[in-house]
Amino acid sequence: MNTKLSILVIEDEKNICDFIATALTSQGYKVYKSYSGRDGVSQITSRCPEILLLDLGLPDLDGMDIIRRVRSWSNMPIIVISARTQENDKVAALDLGADDYITKPFGTSELLARIRTAVRHLSSIRSGSSKESHIYRADGLVIDFDRRRIFVDRQEIHLTQVEYKIVSLLAKNCGKVITYDSIISHVWGPYADDNNRILRVNMANIRRKLEKNPAQPQYIFTEIGIGYRMRDEES
Amino acid sequence: MKQILEEPRIHDPAVTGVFLILGTLLAFFLNHITSSIIDVSSIYILSVVVIARLTSRYIYGIIASVISILCINFFFTYPYMHIDFTLAGYPVAFISMLVISFFMSAATTNLKEQSLIIAVREKQLAAAEKEKMRANLLRAISHDLRTPLTSIIGNTNIYMDHSGLLSEEEKKTLVKNIKEDADWLLNMVENILTVTRIHTSGAKVTKSMEPIEEVVSEAVQRLQKRIPSARVNVRVPDDFLMIPMDAMLIEQVIINLIENAVMHSQSTKPTDLYVTCEENSVSFHVRDYGIGIPGYKLPDIFNGTGTDTSAAPDGKRGMGIGLSICKSIIDAHDGIIMAYNMDIGAEFCFTLPKDGGTDTEV
Repeated sequence: MNTKLSILVIEDEKNICDFIATALTSQGYKVYKSYSGRDGVSQITSRCPEILLLDLGLPDLDGMDIIRRVRSWSNMPIIVISARTQENDKVAALDLGADDYITKPFGTSELLARIRTAVRHLSSIRSGSSKESHIYRADGLVIDFDRRRIFVDRQEIHLTQVEYKIVSLLAKNCGKVITYDSIISHVWGPYADDNNRILRVNMANIRRKLEKNPAQPQYIFTEIGIGYRMRDEES
Repeated sequence: MKQILEEPRIHDPAVTGVFLILGTLLAFFLNHITSSIIDVSSIYILSVVVIARLTSRYIYGIIASVISILCINFFFTYPYMHIDFTLAGYPVAFISMLVISFFMSAATTNLKEQSLIIAVREKQLAAAEKEKMRANLLRAISHDLRTPLTSIIGNTNIYMDHSGLLSEEEKKTLVKNIKEDADWLLNMVENILTVTRIHTSGAKVTKSMEPIEEVVSEAVQRLQKRIPSARVNVRVPDDFLMIPMDAMLIEQVIINLIENAVMHSQSTKPTDLYVTCEENSVSFHVRDYGIGIPGYKLPDIFNGTGTDTSAAPDGKRGMGIGLSICKSIIDAHDGIIMAYNMDIGAEFCFTLPKDGGTDTEV
């Protein structure tokens, strides 16, 4: 691309912020750094980055507030950086409209994968094309959204209505974590029971149909306490 | 606990009064039917025993027996409605009843005191045990943290002070060592963090229903993210099964056990992780095909004492803390953890109850 994609990193730990910036710059992104929440918010409006990487544990502003503010006027991809033990924060951030999260500590490859997913998401927002006329492909798994058919290693797999809804939702958002609640309200409607047991039973059935070994899944990964993440598409 | 023993409770006199009145009424009733003095005195002895059991001091039992004797004399012996000790044989009956009541009340009070004392002592022992474990853990942790930190600081010093003298190859080795130590430290810190999720009282962990296959697969995924070379064969029962647990803690246990197998078994074969299902429990097995566990280590393997001494002849740092954390986590889930040698290699196995014991949420 001619113009570099711009990413704003809001992270109060200078060492981590610098490390992220170095990793992203080396991959050809334009990176802006911000070490505090207030400065970050003003940079969001002044620089208009295309992707936002946001640490939740900022000293001066609540990260949740920043997500709320940004979401009031922009649908730019927001990737939240959080620590392992803050599951509740992660779910809250995702529910507020963050697109994804990455758990500290993370390696550069994981970080870049998240950014790539965000970039793809961004281009699909821009082109305005719905992904309906599209085929998902990863390893041996092929999902044909037009004809609602799923193949594993060229063998057609038969899913129930509900199972297909879950799989297609995850596949259309592949690479991104989707929370239990958003899957449940997408599949069973907004007034469905909060209890995620039914979802997890369905997921167990899906795995038994799609995966060679349900305990070592290749396609749909679990993030316990948060939701599911479908394997990134092959480009 | 002691205070309860020594302070008379306010309701003790009330209990004494109520049971004496009840006894008297019952005695009147029985006396009306059978008109036998034996029944009457039995009823009073019974009230005295009950009072001694329910009150916290001897004195109430004794007061109750004296009042009982006076009542028998007053209500149930001729002349009725008069106190009269002169009737032949009565002093003996009264004294023997007094003695019986006295011993009864002394015995029951004693029994109560003793059971209280035992309860107190058990509590103290448990607290001391916990304190000892905490101290051991802290000692082991500080020791284990200092070693990699020393190495990191040393390696970075060499790199910064002598970078002109080092070859590219040597620099790479230094950085690689730093990364290894940092990875190890990270693992240690994650382990220590999990301990903070175990509460010291009440419901020891916050459990929710989790599918076994999801917990197992996420654990293996997290381990392989950190040690990409680790090969694990996973088998879970075909039936969908959810059991109550703190998934993050159980994942940590699985990660620690597999890492232990990968690091210490010196095996070239993949580690097996398989889950078996019993009537009331589920067992997770981590099996390696390596050198097995040295016999002298087996008894203390979960005590966290295996790290500092000669425990790592293969030059790798021990998993002492990791394994002792596994034990605390499984204990907090009311489960059992074991380690034993097989024909080839070793197996670690932990078992979780399906009903989750007493404090399950959901």
